[in-house]
Amino acid sequence: MADDDGVRERAIALAGAAKRGDTVAMNRLLDALAPYVGTISASIALDHGADAAQEAMIVIFRSLRGLRDPHALFGWVRQITVREALPIARREARQLPDELEDIPARGDPQLSTDVGDVMAHLSPEHRAILLLRDLEGFTEEQAAHLLQVPRGTAKSRLNRARGSFRKEWES
Amino acid sequence: MSESTKPIFPGVSLDPVQRLRALAAGVRGAAVTERVIDASAETVWAILSDLEDGFGTVQPDMRHVHITRRDGENIEAIARSAYGMRARLRGTIRPGWCWPQSRFLIIGVAVTPEGAGAQCRVAMTGGIRIPGHAALIPIGVRREARKSLDRLATIAI
Repeated sequence: MADDDGVRERAIALAGAAKRGDTVAMNRLLDALAPYVGTISASIALDHGADAAQEAMIVIFRSLRGLRDPHALFGWVRQITVREALPIARREARQLPDELEDIPARGDPQLSTDVGDVMAHLSPEHRAILLLRDLEGFTEEQAAHLLQVPRGTAKSRLNRARGSFRKEWES
Repeated sequence: MSESTKPIFPGVSLDPVQRLRALAAGVRGAAVTERVIDASAETVWAILSDLEDGFGTVQPDMRHVHITRRDGENIEAIARSAYGMRARLRGTIRPGWCWPQSRFLIIGVAVTPEGAGAQCRVAMTGGIRIPGHAALIPIGVRREARKSLDRLATIAI
């Protein structure tokens, strides 16, 4: 979409300027990336999403000089954000996901709220694989690389995550 | 592969202090100094956002600041230090956030409410810049910020 492309192109241009040491561009780049990083972080780390987003942004700006091709910005940002959010989600959750039967019955709010409610009751690993494969459109191999697990593990994890999601969604 | 940047779920946003920590991580030699102050964020921000007057009471090295252009949250200003040096600053100022920069100077200030709101957290970074780089000369950056926060705490409460 045009708006989406505009945001992306602007962020890429800002990343190029920020890489060259323009600190005003760094500030604008943070503005441009914040919604994207905030969404991924919240999807995986839930209530600790703000902590995850901060850690991801710290790594992004500390590593920005190492970004070879600014056109790869969003993939690179996504990779860092997922890798920062997962350990925080694991550390803070340190618990099995709720039994699906315990999930409150769905009301009639907006679709995204329903999806978010169901996602919130999955484990961080399941949320991450669903986000990457079904929402972000990564291939199995790319998702496995991002999550640093073998391809077979990513595949079986996705099957289990989809099963859990579907069961609750249809209940 | 999708490269959509549109949020699918409601996300989280960084508060100004979290933003400052992130941006400072991209500036070599920068340090972030933080202090919780017994005053509301609004009270403290009223002092810090008054660049031509209040800010100078917190940062006496900045003897005079004159805003030359303001377009929404984007500003340009001329600052003179106590030692006579002149800096042409440009950057962003919005509630809780101030990030003006020049070729030779980096300044970053953030304020966010703390707890129930009777207190706030203030974070500062900045110093003398290595011209053209996202890098500071790492001399006295923490000491200067600590002094500024001491003054701010005294003025605000």
